[in-house]
Order: sequence, then C-alpha cells, then structure tokens
Amino acid sequence: MAITAPPRSAERHRAHPLDAVFSPRSIAVVGVTATPGTVPYDIFHNIRQAGFVGPVFPVAPGKREIDGVPAYRYLLDIPDAVDLAVIVFPAEVVDRAIDHCVRKGVQAAIVISAGFREIGPVGLKREQRIQALCAEHGIALVGPNCLGVINTDPAVRLNASFARKMPHTGRIAFLSQSGALCTAVLDYAREKQIGFSKFVSFGNKAGVTEVELLEYLHHDARTEVILLYLEELRDVRRLMETAQRVTRGELAKPILAIKAGRTPQGAAAAASHTGSLAAEDAICDAVFREAGIVRVDSIDELFNIAVMYAQQPLPAGPRLGIVTNAGGPGVMAADAAVRLGLELPPLASSTQQALRGVLPATANVKNPVDVIGDARADRYDVALRHVLADPAVDQVLVILTPQSMTDIAAIAARICQLAGSEEGPKASQALPRKPLACSFMGAEDVAEGVRILQQAGIPHYILPEWACRAMAGVQQILRVRQEAIDQPRPLAVDRQAARHVLASAPAGYLTEDEALQVLSAYGLPVPPWHLCRTPDEAAAWAEAHGYPVTLRVASRHIVHKSEVHGVALDLRDAAEVRQAFQAMERRVAVARPDAHIAGFIVRRMIPSGHELIVGAKRDAVFGPVVMFGLGGVLVELFGDVTFALAPLGPAAAQRMIRRVRAARLLEGFRGQPRADLEPIVQCILRIGQLVADFPRIAELDINPLLACPPPIGCQVADVRIRLA
Amino acid sequence: MNREEIEQRVKKVICRVLKIDQSMIEPSSHFVFDLGAESTQSVELVAAFEQEFGIELEDDAALAVKTVGEAVDFIAERLA
Repeated sequence: MAITAPPRSAERHRAHPLDAVFSPRSIAVVGVTATPGTVPYDIFHNIRQAGFVGPVFPVAPGKREIDGVPAYRYLLDIPDAVDLAVIVFPAEVVDRAIDHCVRKGVQAAIVISAGFREIGPVGLKREQRIQALCAEHGIALVGPNCLGVINTDPAVRLNASFARKMPHTGRIAFLSQSGALCTAVLDYAREKQIGFSKFVSFGNKAGVTEVELLEYLHHDARTEVILLYLEELRDVRRLMETAQRVTRGELAKPILAIKAGRTPQGAAAAASHTGSLAAEDAICDAVFREAGIVRVDSIDELFNIAVMYAQQPLPAGPRLGIVTNAGGPGVMAADAAVRLGLELPPLASSTQQALRGVLPATANVKNPVDVIGDARADRYDVALRHVLADPAVDQVLVILTPQSMTDIAAIAARICQLAGSEEGPKASQALPRKPLACSFMGAEDVAEGVRILQQAGIPHYILPEWACRAMAGVQQILRVRQEAIDQPRPLAVDRQAARHVLASAPAGYLTEDEALQVLSAYGLPVPPWHLCRTPDEAAAWAEAHGYPVTLRVASRHIVHKSEVHGVALDLRDAAEVRQAFQAMERRVAVARPDAHIAGFIVRRMIPSGHELIVGAKRDAVFGPVVMFGLGGVLVELFGDVTFALAPLGPAAAQRMIRRVRAARLLEGFRGQPRADLEPIVQCILRIGQLVADFPRIAELDINPLLACPPPIGCQVADVRIRLA
Repeated sequence: MNREEIEQRVKKVICRVLKIDQSMIEPSSHFVFDLGAESTQSVELVAAFEQEFGIELEDDAALAVKTVGEAVDFIAERLA
C-alpha cells in the first residue's frame, strides 16, 4: 500500500530536525502494554513520571486506558498532532508503526525495540526498511535498539527511556552507543550529584548518529561539554570534521570520548613499516586528537574531567597550587601534576612570607603548602586565601585527610565560601575566581564534607591524582581550542601520469621505477634516477650526472633489496658502477631466480640528513590514513609515529610533525642541524592526496625520507608501494 | 469442522485470552500490531488453541503465525 505523508504545516516548522527528538510538543508511545516491569509499559510510565510538559498518548491496541490515560488502537486514531513517536513494539512490527508515523506526519521516532542489525541478517533487513522509510519521509530516527533519550530542560522534562530516574539538571550531554552502559552511568552520576543537559542512547544508529548529535549539541545553549561513548566508527571523516568545528572556534565546546577498543581481526603481517605500525587503536588515538576529541579510558576519567570543566571557571594556565594537611598526599599530587603536564610553580616570596607569619613553624609554605595534620577550618582558610591570591597560581587543589581534630564539614563550607560558590559570595569577593578542586581522602568520615562540596559544585575526587588528571584534561581541552581547523586543499599534481603507471600495474608491489614515477607525478622530491638494463647504460648515466651514485635492483618481486644484496652504495666511478651492476645481477639471479628483474636503478647518493618515515595505508575503518615519524631502522623498535586521515591540510600536517616524540631532533637538538619543516609538510600533504586519489594503493612507505639541510631539502631515499 | 467454524472458535479464544471485543478481529489482524498481544500472551494463545481444538501445536511453528487468518489456516491444516 502506498504511503502518503500529510503536508507539513508551516506552523509546525522546527529550527532543527532534532528539536522534535529533544523538545517535542507531544509524544505518542507506540506499543504500550499494561504490564509494569516490561519495557513498553515502563517507557510510558517514565515519560509521565518525569513530568513531560506536553500530552503523552499511549497507543495500546485492545486497551481502553493505561494508568488512567485514554489509549488508542493506532497512532492514526490520535486526533492531535504528534511530534515524537517512541516505538516499543516488537521489532517485527516496527515497520508498520513507522508507516503510521509517516501517515501521521510525525517528525521524529525513537525506536527502543531490539531485534535489528544486532541479531543478524533478518534483523538487518528490518533495520534497512525502517531506515529507508524514515530517510525518505524526513523522520529523524533514533535507534533502534536503544535506551532512549532524556532532556532535563525544565521547559521539557523528557525521560523517553527505560532509565529508572530522571537525572539532575546540568550542563553535560552524554551520548552513548551502549544502552547497557547508560543506566549504570545515570546511577553513578546521581550519586555524585552530576547533572546532565541531554542524555542519548543511540543504539544501532540507523538514522541519527553521533555526528548529527554533535552538530545539534554544538548549538544547544544548555550544553557546555559533550561526553561520548563509542564502540563502532562508521563515517569517520564526517565525525572528524564535525568534531573539529565543535571543539574549536567561537562556540567551542569540549568533546570527551571513550572509544571501546576492538582487536583487529586477522591482522595480516604487512611487509611494509606502515602496515606493521598502524594498529587500528593507534590510528584512532591520532584521529581523535586531530579532531580535537579528548580520548579517555574510563567512565571515571570522562566525568572527572567533565565536572572540572563544567563546574569551575577555566584556568588561565597550567600552574597548580596545592594546599594539604598531609605531606605524603601532597607529594603524590605534586608528582602526578608534573607527570600529567601541569606546572607546580614556587609561590611568590610575599605569599610565602605571609604564610610563614600565620601558619605553625612546622608548616611548609612552599608549593604544596602543608598546613599540618592538626589544621582546622581557620588554618585552611588563611592558607587558601593566600594561595588563591598568588599571581603564580592558575588553579588550586585542596587535599584533606581526616585526623581526629579535623573539622571536615566546616572546612568544606569554608572552601565553598572562598571558591565563590552560592554559599558565601561575600567572603570571596576580594579573591580572584580561580578553578578549585578538592580531594578529601577517605570515605565514611569525609562523606558529609564531600556532600557539602558536591552540592556547591566544587569538584571532588577521592584521590589527588584524579584531580590532577581532571585539571590536565581541562588543559588538553584549552590547547585544542588554540589549534586551527584543518582545511585540506587540492594540490597541483599530475594525476594522469600517476594513473598511467597504476592502471597497468598488477596487484602487489610496484617496481621502484614505477613507484618513483608515481611519486614524481605527485610532486614528491625524488632525486633524478634512471632505470638501466646494462652496465654501460648505468655508467653512462653516472658519468653524466656525477658521483657518488647508488645502484638498486628494480623488481616487483623483491621487496627487501638488502636481503638479496640488491643495493650498492657510494660508487665513485664508471668502473665501480659496471662492476657493481654485474655482481648484483649475478647475486640476484642466484638468490631469486623466480623474480622478474625490470632493471637496475642508478641514482646520485643523497647527503645525510634526518631520516623520516612518511607512509600511508588504506584502513578498513578509517579509510586512507597517512603516517609520519622519525624513521630509518629504529622506527619499528620505538614506534614513534603518528597518523592522520587523508587528505589533510597544512595545519594537520604540522601538528603531525610536532606530535612525534622525537620531533625535537628536527628543531636542531645537540648540534644536529635544524630541519626546514615546510618541505616535510608538503611531502605529507602530497602523500595524503595520492592515497586519497587512488583507492588501489593499499600501502605506501617512504623510508627513509631524508630531511637534508637547505638547499637540498627533503629527498626520497627509498619507496615501496603496494596495490590492492 | 469447516473453516468458518474454526474461524469462529479461534476468534472466541482470542477474545478470551487478549480480553478484547470480537469486533476488533479481522482475518488480516496482526496479533501484536492490531490486537495488542504481549509476548506472554502469544504463548497463552497457543496453549488455548491446543485446548480448544484438542490438538498439539509445534511451538516454533505456532509462534511464527502472525495473523488471525494464518492461525485459522494453521489449525485447519492440523485438523484435516
């Protein structure tokens, strides 16, 4: 039966397609049952319990009412307009429900039901059908197989989920691909007094994905920080581009993410360096970092950083002042802070002098400031005032261990006052507002103090190291914000020439001659070379171009030339060239009688320089990826490489270079010459464009790319290209 | 027993188990989407049909039946 959708009335126009998901004016729950404890009933119950501000219609065939609310047999029987349908029918009939949504003019559908792609081919077909229906008729589809959606905005109060309770209102948005994780996170957050603006479990993401949600939340005035839990990556390019825009620029908002790792299936041993180094998780790390996403490894870390960012002002810099009543934890905090990239500045001499005047003689007035174990609220107060006022301090960590005389609740209350919370604004008016976190170490004895802090919005962490990690996370967020958005631009290259070489080459490795032709076509700095078939030809070329030269066997069947003694270096005259040619020809014929030899490549020797590796591969998840590192034979030992999606622009390429740990060598370390970075950036950009332009390129390795002092610049010393 | 009789008796069983009015039931009615059968009620229906018609129905095949008409056909085949 043909489905005709009703015309969309102008007055129901929305500013954004996801407004109907998060702020619907009316909801129908489709497939409600009368049995408490079942998902269909509980969803309906939860929406009403949370106090949704608009009408909620139960669609429950065969029922007159559910919980006293008149029920309808079909969505189409509801006389009012319906913005959002929350579908809880079994999977096999969800497509019928979506048909009715189309005919009713519903703008968004959340499909809670399981039984789709996650169960196999039958479920996948069901999912594709509802996906197609919704896409064709412009219905924003969340799910299927999800926990639901929560919006804590008091003007909406939407709990369209089977989470037990509505979370507190806050400024953190949480997006999760795992429904099972969501309920645990909600419970965890309630206990810690952490509130949310929006909470979405997007399940199988058949319609709305994390990309659309990030775009929406970017402009959501009630959301200040976005948390993301992902298992599966699909459209990585779009995710990265969206995340770049969200985390940088005027409306910048941080994105913190857990990407659950997956072991690559059947990792094949790759002949090239790039293949063996590019484990999927390392690429994910690099891609997330380039996108501005702060990747973390646990739910704790996620919220620890989010709370620090959302509940406290932003620090002016990385300098941390610590106030503690226990020396040991103070030292541990100091170690953690420095390890995580924060700074522990000495306090101003005036601050130290002032502290010496008011603290006991045994107190430590350096940083950390140790107010000693018998400190009570008054001593904490005076120490904290001075540390907060010190211009060398950007943020403060207060550590407390519960001694018998420690008046924990009073100290907590005093901290709240000094931090400028609502509890005592007057007390803090003379002090600059700097971010502050606490670590009241313990559990039972400190519980009341912790409650006071949490209620006042002062971040609390059981361990000082966690506080340091949270503050370091905020620094990461601020650094991202300083970075320019990457803008790849097409480069002037000879695509036709490259295509000509690649089109006729079989699967497997190109010969070195072919690979050099491809690189030349894309403007890589390839020193002049010649493919020779006789010793005289090689010698003649060397005579014409100058010495010393190298000689290398060119065969698509010989990848590791040195293993068959297929490389000769530093040949200084014609006689040496001829001799080397003849000897190599004999050796290779013995070692690899099966290999087809295209010839021997003669080339001028490149002067020494920094050995770099620039590579690329086509990843099953991430698509074309480039790799950069300091290369040579040690690259696989140290794995000091970084990755980026291809194609990329100059900003991303420059960041790739800086992220390599050994990048300092390029700046001229211990007498080594300084390298000009611009030619290296160009090489990375051109390799990125090459691998993006030609899907047949499965792997590419330039190792080494020699970064020589000017005027020579970068030179390709060796290259391998493998075609699929 | 002819098909019409089977259909009448099937409808009576459905009314009893799902507690709905007979006027709701058509041969094309889907047990879940049109008649609101919950998953536990689907199992109850199979048991009720077995008792009504004095036959045994294979669980998997019976639960795969989606509409009233299909249920009538299913039972008619087993009575023949």
